[in-house]
Amino acid sequence: MANKTIELLSPAGSFDCIQAAINAGADAIYFGVEQLNMRTRSSNGFSLADIEEVSTLCHSNGIKAYLTLNTVMYDHDMQLLKAILQQVKLHHIDAVIAADFAVMEYCSQLQIPLHISTQANISNIAAVQFFARMADVVVLARELTLRQITQITRDIERRNILGVSGKPLEVEIFVHGALCMAISGKCYLSLHTQNAAANRGACVQNCRRSYIVTDAETNEQLVIDNEYIMSPKDLCTIGVLDQVVNSGVQVLKIEGRSKGADYVYTVTKCYKEALEAIANGTYNAASIAQWETMLATVYNRGFWEGYYLGQEMGEWTKSPGSAATEKKVYIGKGSRYYPNIQVGEFDIEAGTLQPGDTIMVSGQAHGMFKETLHQLTVNGNHAIIAEKGDKLTFPITTKVAVTDKLYKITKA
Amino acid sequence: MSKIIHYRNKCIGCGICQQQQPTLWRMSKKDGKATLIQAIEKKGIYQIAIPTHLLELTINVAKACPVNIIKIV
Repeated sequence: MANKTIELLSPAGSFDCIQAAINAGADAIYFGVEQLNMRTRSSNGFSLADIEEVSTLCHSNGIKAYLTLNTVMYDHDMQLLKAILQQVKLHHIDAVIAADFAVMEYCSQLQIPLHISTQANISNIAAVQFFARMADVVVLARELTLRQITQITRDIERRNILGVSGKPLEVEIFVHGALCMAISGKCYLSLHTQNAAANRGACVQNCRRSYIVTDAETNEQLVIDNEYIMSPKDLCTIGVLDQVVNSGVQVLKIEGRSKGADYVYTVTKCYKEALEAIANGTYNAASIAQWETMLATVYNRGFWEGYYLGQEMGEWTKSPGSAATEKKVYIGKGSRYYPNIQVGEFDIEAGTLQPGDTIMVSGQAHGMFKETLHQLTVNGNHAIIAEKGDKLTFPITTKVAVTDKLYKITKA
Repeated sequence: MSKIIHYRNKCIGCGICQQQQPTLWRMSKKDGKATLIQAIEKKGIYQIAIPTHLLELTINVAKACPVNIIKIV
């Protein structure tokens, strides 16, 4: 399959992340609004009023924008759903990603392009054929093997299955990010323990904790080699991306709408470079090692290739939080920008910075900006330390806003 | 008398409050979020006093809310 047809789809939980995805070379982003998406706990969710700005930002940068509306839907959601879809239509969002039949029905009525979410667990060609009547892209279940995926894409070609728009139906799969301990969308663990509706986007991730298994009859603790018995490592396919491309899929999706701009930028950039390397024949072990090192710097629970290579069991993480090799420490926020000399000023609110420290700026204009400060300019003078109350300035080509956040990057 | 405080903006519309205590809660057809019936709104936060005989059930409703936006004071 010619690599140029592959679309790289990045997650966006905020405008910072959209800009980061654009800067890193994403072909499209997906985002959620209000409470009808699977990341309702994310603090920076978009609202209905943001749809126009998301559309403008993406389209003016030549990338597509897809809206996820993939929770379980109730009767009381219908009016909000219709209001969202009207905005989608009005502002030319490129497609809606859905798993509920109500969303599919309304998209069909409004002639909004539709992608079927992984929450629908499409795992066979008959299901693909069924959804082709209403969609242009199907996201396959994350639990399939590459062999099964290849069979599905070949059958689509062989049977000439067309999407609702009349073009050949496209297949999308996840290539990077968190995996669920259950078949996607079929987990009720949060509901049983904390009454939290995982399929309304409120998963509390109790699979990510450590557990002790006790025999209820004898009260004896069973010996298990890993306390994180339900927490899978994160999916990472950078080392097998050539096989992924050869499986015949058209869209590669990165998970992570709850994650920051640094994650979106780094992961998107690595996969973009890897796709380019596959296209021009320079994809090799040395570059894979470099990308793996880069990917390990941002949030992760350790990596494996998911179920794509057909392992019998999941690989489980060994730690509660991220295994990222770098961490970001909050230092301060943007205060003003001097456009003539392209210098940004930041108020230091916590911690300290010294010459040689690497900083990261997260903000709507930059996406993610990362640089090592070899010398410090504090309150207008060269200094050997910047601390709380100081004003730090450094050259930056994009406009600094008061909503920008400044972080120090340290080894984890 | 105790009060219910409802941080409505953060509601995810799962409907558990309305199912457990339909006399105090209804699901808005307009925006899909839970509405605390007859509550007074101030900056997006809704409040209402609750009679003592409803307190126990309301505490359970607050515990049941998956996003923890119902407080009893």
